[in-house]
Amino acid sequence: MSNSEGMHSPVEQFEIKSLVELSLGGYDVSFTNSSLFMLLAIGVSAIFLISAMRRADMVPGRMQGMAEMMYEFVAEMVRSNVGSEGRPYFPFIFTLFVFLLFGNMLGLIPYSYTFTSQIIVTFAMAAFVFVGVTIIALFKHGLHFFSFFVPAGAPKVLIPFLIVIEVISYFVRPVSLSVRLFANMLAGHTMLKVFAGLAVMISGAGGLAMAGSLLPFVALIGLTGLEVLVAALQAYVFTILTCMYLNDALHLH
Amino acid sequence: MTENTRNRLTAIAVALPAFMSAKAFAAGASEPGLPQLDIATWPSQLFWLVVLFGAGYLVMAKIVTPRIGAVLEERRQTVDGDLEKARAASADAAKIRADYESDLEKARIEAAEFAKQAAMEATKKAEAADAKIAKKLADKVGAAEAKLAEAKTSAMANLNDVAAEAAMAAVASLAGIKTSSAQASKTASSIATKLAKQETN
Repeated sequence: MSNSEGMHSPVEQFEIKSLVELSLGGYDVSFTNSSLFMLLAIGVSAIFLISAMRRADMVPGRMQGMAEMMYEFVAEMVRSNVGSEGRPYFPFIFTLFVFLLFGNMLGLIPYSYTFTSQIIVTFAMAAFVFVGVTIIALFKHGLHFFSFFVPAGAPKVLIPFLIVIEVISYFVRPVSLSVRLFANMLAGHTMLKVFAGLAVMISGAGGLAMAGSLLPFVALIGLTGLEVLVAALQAYVFTILTCMYLNDALHLH
Repeated sequence: MTENTRNRLTAIAVALPAFMSAKAFAAGASEPGLPQLDIATWPSQLFWLVVLFGAGYLVMAKIVTPRIGAVLEERRQTVDGDLEKARAASADAAKIRADYESDLEKARIEAAEFAKQAAMEATKKAEAADAKIAKKLADKVGAAEAKLAEAKTSAMANLNDVAAEAAMAAVASLAGIKTSSAQASKTASSIATKLAKQETN
């Protein structure tokens, strides 16, 4: 990273760089840095989870304990938010959590890439959840599903108004779900870059100003800790909201 | 602070807001701002998301979650089984203890009963033996007394005869009177009876 007069933009880190040029049906489907880190998120998590469970001890060691903790964390999330009917969807929810957690965490490593900072990626996942959940609800409840948009016990006069609100709030779900994750990652990583850039810039001033670069540097350390928290938290939030939407689909209100 | 340094710091101060706003969202005239909004990259990202997330789902659903689930289930069963076993063993122990205590109590009662009976029997036996010995002794004493009385009587009878003879002889030699032995013995015995009476008094 050069820090001459032409300072790097803090959003340059989000640029997609093609690693292997590929094309499919006229579309550019090149294997990019984003794809690489998706692969790493899946690869690292799968290798970790499989190798941790290799010995499958009755009394787990450290690695096995961690793998089991992740499993039980998600299992408990599904159990308490969806109930026993959520069992068939557990592998999907588990994959979703692991994919996002490892994606967010790997993205914090310097020079790596955070694919969850791509709105198209988070939106695709949120849209998949939204469409999937809606299909499940329609299959399970048929036309009765539309009663979901009519709040129980509301005054008759207000019902048309409330239906409009409910429908809007339902269709906003994929947007809020995807934008929440995307915006958190975008803001966090941009902020890290800004503070890192500041530290480098100020130290470049030389002399006493060098000491001043300590300030953004210390802030950077604190922010990095915060970003680790945000990375885990946003993976959790995305997953638990998916559970709640699934619960709404299975049980309506 | 040199002129040069001051100039650079001023440049930083001026550049900062621009750095955080304009430059952040419009990095260069040729680029359209946020790289995320460059839709040319979307097909590739969607394609690889579907492929890799799909592959990840298969790995998690077919290998990882069944494996961890099986281990957890096995552990749960083992723990439950062990707890069940422990509960059963504890119940067994309590039962054995109760049995033991009731047996002990029974044995204690039996032993007390037995001891009482044995004591009673021993007492009875001892009493019987006592009685037997007492009877034997009494018999022996009786027999001895009878013998003694007999001996005494015969001795007395002999004594009378001897006394009568002596008296007869004495009478004959002193007075020259011949008495019949019958007379003599009659007199002697009367004297003896008189003496005996005196003795007893």
